[in-house]
Amino acid sequence: MNKLEELKKSAGAAKSDGRQFVTFIIGEENYGVEVLKVQEIIGMTQIIHVPNSAEFMKGVINLRGAVVPVVDMRTRFRMPEREYDMFTVIIIVEVKNRMIGMIVDSVSDVVDISEATIQDTPHFTAKIETDFIKGIGQVENKLVIILDIDKILSTSDLERMAMEESRGGDD
Amino acid sequence: MSENTIRDVFLEEAREILRHLEADLIQLEDGDDPELINRIFRYVHTIKGSSGIAGFDVVYEFTHKLETLLDMVRNGKIPVEKKLVDLLLESMDWIATGIYEEPDFDRMEALLDRTGKYHAAGGGAVSASEEEDAPAKNGPSEDKNFFFLVRASFRPMVFQSGIDPLIIMEDLTALGSVEQKRVNLKRLPELEELDPERCYLDWTVLLKTKHPRSKLDDVFIFVKDDNDITVEDITAEFVDDEKYNTMLQERKLGEILLKRGIITEEELDDVLSSQDESNRKLGDLIVEKGYADEKSIKYALGEQSRIKSRIQTTTVRVDTRKLDSLLNLLGEIVISQSSISRISEELEEQHGFRLKNALYAMDRITREFQEQIMAIRMIPIGPTFEQFRRFVRDAAADMKKEIRLDIRGAETELDKTVIEQISDPLKHMLRNAIDHGIEPPDEREKAGKKRTGTVTLNAYHQEGNIYIEIIDDGQGIDRAAIKRKGLERGLIKPGDELTDKQIHDLLFLPGFSTAENVGELSGRGVGMDVVKTNIEALRGSVEIFSEERRGSTIRIKLPLTLAIIEGMLVRVGTNVYIIPLLSIVESLQPARDHVKTVEGKGEVMLVRGEYVPLVRLYEHFGIKSDVTNPWESLVVVVESGSDRLGIMIDDLVGQQQIVIKSLENYITQSRALSGAAILGDGKVALIIDVHGMVGDLAR
Repeated sequence: MNKLEELKKSAGAAKSDGRQFVTFIIGEENYGVEVLKVQEIIGMTQIIHVPNSAEFMKGVINLRGAVVPVVDMRTRFRMPEREYDMFTVIIIVEVKNRMIGMIVDSVSDVVDISEATIQDTPHFTAKIETDFIKGIGQVENKLVIILDIDKILSTSDLERMAMEESRGGDD
Repeated sequence: MSENTIRDVFLEEAREILRHLEADLIQLEDGDDPELINRIFRYVHTIKGSSGIAGFDVVYEFTHKLETLLDMVRNGKIPVEKKLVDLLLESMDWIATGIYEEPDFDRMEALLDRTGKYHAAGGGAVSASEEEDAPAKNGPSEDKNFFFLVRASFRPMVFQSGIDPLIIMEDLTALGSVEQKRVNLKRLPELEELDPERCYLDWTVLLKTKHPRSKLDDVFIFVKDDNDITVEDITAEFVDDEKYNTMLQERKLGEILLKRGIITEEELDDVLSSQDESNRKLGDLIVEKGYADEKSIKYALGEQSRIKSRIQTTTVRVDTRKLDSLLNLLGEIVISQSSISRISEELEEQHGFRLKNALYAMDRITREFQEQIMAIRMIPIGPTFEQFRRFVRDAAADMKKEIRLDIRGAETELDKTVIEQISDPLKHMLRNAIDHGIEPPDEREKAGKKRTGTVTLNAYHQEGNIYIEIIDDGQGIDRAAIKRKGLERGLIKPGDELTDKQIHDLLFLPGFSTAENVGELSGRGVGMDVVKTNIEALRGSVEIFSEERRGSTIRIKLPLTLAIIEGMLVRVGTNVYIIPLLSIVESLQPARDHVKTVEGKGEVMLVRGEYVPLVRLYEHFGIKSDVTNPWESLVVVVESGSDRLGIMIDDLVGQQQIVIKSLENYITQSRALSGAAILGDGKVALIIDVHGMVGDLAR
């Protein structure tokens, strides 16, 4: 279960001035989060559903004695749900000293992306939430969407979304 | 050590020192006990030294000036008076802000100005006694004590060289004060073998002196070559809190007086022997015999109790996060243990049996381990109570009232999390007691009470709970005024017959008493709803008792510990939930005709002649269950305050101790879930909060 260590090791060789990102796949897209934010990567485990929670809040898991909430990134990004398979992983990240898990389709690599090649978020059509995208990087012709984890999984943001959903449910 | 760690250590240390300092300064108001002044001086001195090392230069400069002032106080050049204590307290506050926030330079100037005036006043007095002080200046360093451990072992034939070791030892002790001494008699032979021309004795002396090491070496200058003399500088061991930390042990009154040189050994023996006959208090006897005055006895008794309380509170100092992680680690051990236990089930009988036996033994140990860790989390409430002394003093002065704070049950132990969270509500209630409870001195006198009001903080254990009381001997709660206010607000109806308790409960309603209402007379209830919420969050409750003109008591009831509870595991479909055992009244299978619906929606069931609302947990949580008919299921009857509730479940799984882990607010909107716990098999189970569930239903 030490994929992260392996990844970090393999990336260590290719050290450069750029920052390192853990990349993962949701659907057809590549996403990246700063490696320093990632605590560990674990395989799919038993998730205990918490009643009356937002849809993307899949529940809580036992991470070696700590109760950690996990969020399904597909649901969070309003993408269609998909069954979990052997590639599905939970990336445990630390947001403001709190651990939280992200369920993603699969984890791919740790890559170096130099600051210079990271572009600012282009202006998409209004349909796409750009707040939590830090920028867009390029690795070997692949597009990597770099997420601002502090924003996307901030407590206030999650609370707001949960509130909205529960209000929607009441109607 | 990196710079950051030095800083961290200093910050931690300073926090502790400032707390002691505050307590001592408040005590200083009661009289100028020289030991107390010395200790205050040492605290400031330590802060000065460490702040310099940690790079807080402004604080260093400031404390340096303060130290000079305190030195004058110590030498009796400046009298101890309220004005001085005020200045010192404010200076202490400044130091705290200077260290933990940004130094406020304007305030510093103002304080230094006042300090300077005192300096001048002290300086004026100096001229008279200057001569006396003059020699001291060239000799020992002004404010620093050295501690030397001297071991002197003289060779047996030392007398033949015309040297008397005793005279040398006397010379040595003349340099300072002997803190500890021991004469080694091991080499001393039987009397018939004793050769009077030989030296058989060794000395070990702990000397406290203002002189540098060279002075001590001078004493031994003629003997050090052919005798075994070692002088060791152990000042570093004493530098923190000087002798107090190292010599911290419970001491008898007589010893304290002896140590302070107030009475002599013979006098003490005399008093002790007459005490045996008369069975009276030592202090009284000493005063009666004229060996010491009452003041000295009082101070010595003060020190005695301070030493006692220090022994109780300063034995362990561990970062609380370490304790938490220890507990988490233990939780992991328990979980791994249960997975091994599962493997043991799969093994063939012979091996499985042996493994199981080993696991039972291990289980016992881990349980005990857990209890011990929980015990470490318990800390006495005393320091929390003590920190209010300053608050009460200042608040009373602000309102021109005379108030004494009485602290009882300081040794009562609570979970550290509870202590951290109870502090604010307590302060709030103290403020209420001072503001609205205790009358102004003149009014008290008219009512035939003492001018000085008393507010008591009391803590005690009872039946697995902890009670904290805030008692005042003030005017009590004006129930008529509360009733009027309740009517005004439409909270009660004119015809309502209310018990005292029901009237008091009005005070806990949000916004019941704001500035313009119940008024000076008895405006209790400012933010009492917040207090109540805070205490309920700790799974506690709060009650008010009051007697007009006699005073009020607010009683808080809290569970012994927050982190661990006895829980009942219940199953609904494939989900396991935990209901705190303390909330459970009973569990039963209702008869078919005992379940009724109300307005076609709400369900109630008959429990011992009383209808209680029935909650189908599977419906409430939106999950699947095995059974949907209440009469086929089990119903757990729970209680929160005076509300009862039947929770419908599939089955009871068992009872076990669980460690509560909090759930972040955003995870669920349901108030019916208060946390989660990890079960023996590593699964997470959610904990049902009965109080919150009642609230959910009322929504």
